[in-house]
Amino acid sequence: MDKIHYLISEGFKNIWRHKMTAFTAVFSLFLALFFVGLMATAGENTHKILQYLRAKYKIEVFFDQDVANEKALGLIHQIKKINGVRTATLIKKEDAMRIFKDQFGEDILDILGYNPLPVSAVINLVRASKVPVKADPIVNKIKTMKGVAEVRYQGSLIRKIERTYYRILGKLPVIAGIVVLVAVLVIYNTVKLSVYSRRQLILTLEMIGATRTFIKMPFIFEGFFIAILSSSIAFPALVGTIETGNYILANFTSWGIRLSFDPAIWIWLFVLSATITILGSYRAIAGILK
Amino acid sequence: MMIEFQNASYSYIKGNGVNNLNVKIDEGEFAFLIGPTGSGKTTLMRLIYFDLIPDAGMVIVGKYSSSTITTRKIPGARKGVGMVFQDYKLLGDRNLFENTALPLHALGFPGKEIVDRVEEALDLVGLETKNEHLPMELSGGEQQRACLARAIVKEPDILLADEPTGNLDPVASFELVRLLETINEMGTTILMASHNYNLIKGRGRRILEIKNGTLRGS
Repeated sequence: MDKIHYLISEGFKNIWRHKMTAFTAVFSLFLALFFVGLMATAGENTHKILQYLRAKYKIEVFFDQDVANEKALGLIHQIKKINGVRTATLIKKEDAMRIFKDQFGEDILDILGYNPLPVSAVINLVRASKVPVKADPIVNKIKTMKGVAEVRYQGSLIRKIERTYYRILGKLPVIAGIVVLVAVLVIYNTVKLSVYSRRQLILTLEMIGATRTFIKMPFIFEGFFIAILSSSIAFPALVGTIETGNYILANFTSWGIRLSFDPAIWIWLFVLSATITILGSYRAIAGILK
Repeated sequence: MMIEFQNASYSYIKGNGVNNLNVKIDEGEFAFLIGPTGSGKTTLMRLIYFDLIPDAGMVIVGKYSSSTITTRKIPGARKGVGMVFQDYKLLGDRNLFENTALPLHALGFPGKEIVDRVEEALDLVGLETKNEHLPMELSGGEQQRACLARAIVKEPDILLADEPTGNLDPVASFELVRLLETINEMGTTILMASHNYNLIKGRGRRILEIKNGTLRGS
């Protein structure tokens, strides 16, 4: 019991005895974990930006001049049945006139003496998160309907947004993998350097008859404490960064996006740092011991 | 605990080492090992605490033999051996008490016994008032005595002193040898390496002479 107590307290004392080394290790680990956490949060929130952009996708359908409101309602009913259509809203001739007045400030009846604006519809698309939104097949189907004069939509823009999103989504695991790998290497080498700086202690302990376990344990405990410390700093730093982001989004944009953050990430950051620090300490000492 | 070399040889990759050593140091004996720098004194010492394993022949230390010892058994073999080094090898980040207590923690002694033994060892070497000092706050002679306290605190059967007076002035050197003689009187087998013949002559102890890795006589 005395021995275990001694080994744990040595782990703590080593941090205090080698403050600068410990500070460097904690800071390096904090930075590595912070970027891993940011990456994970970015991955979790990417779809929110896409959903915001997708909410802006719309198809405008203009009916022939002879199509009355009742007939247009029938056509809208058919449009709603098309796979991928979420909503379809009728815009009557009178509504179109009002919109014109809102946008241009003049009454079209005063200008032309009659209302030339046709009955139209605004169509919103289904926003599935797993598959790209494809507007072209819907537009093609609407165009074949009798009574439809013109269909307007931002085809190339939608295609570009969808293509870019899925391209990023495809590369995200690779980017995350690189960030995690760099973090692992930074943490591993920091720990190795920290152990190597106390080479004399290890060799002296070996010479006075300490077992390998006795030599390794304080370093393992020290690595564990450093992992707790660095992940405990990285977690509030991440929360702070995300909350700042949310404040900016809420006060300086009209996007209506709120970034979410999974608190379980603290556990993952701790597990990642503890595993690497313990493994790094163990291997570094094994390399020094004969 | 007895030390015995049987046709033991060890050579380093870059040459030197020791050749065909045959010597026996009896339990409770105080022997000196003398020879010039690079003659193989340290190699011989390292063979005793199994820091090196002979290429040929055998080294027997108590119940341990170099021919059968494994890496796992080496800490056990070192429990009965205390070591004093020319460069002290004290840990600069710990005070004298902590440095001296280190072997006892490694051997799993209970806390109360550690305190008693450390106080006793520091008392024996005359450093009882400096247990809070860091090694850098001590003189060379005091550091060497601290190193000796760390070596004897576990009450080893064998004490190896590798050039312990190498960095000390004549007075401190003489005092250290006197201290080693006191420890030997308590029953500890001692082998002290030195290249200072004047320090060890006339003490009535066996002197082993080593030159170019070969023992010349005793």
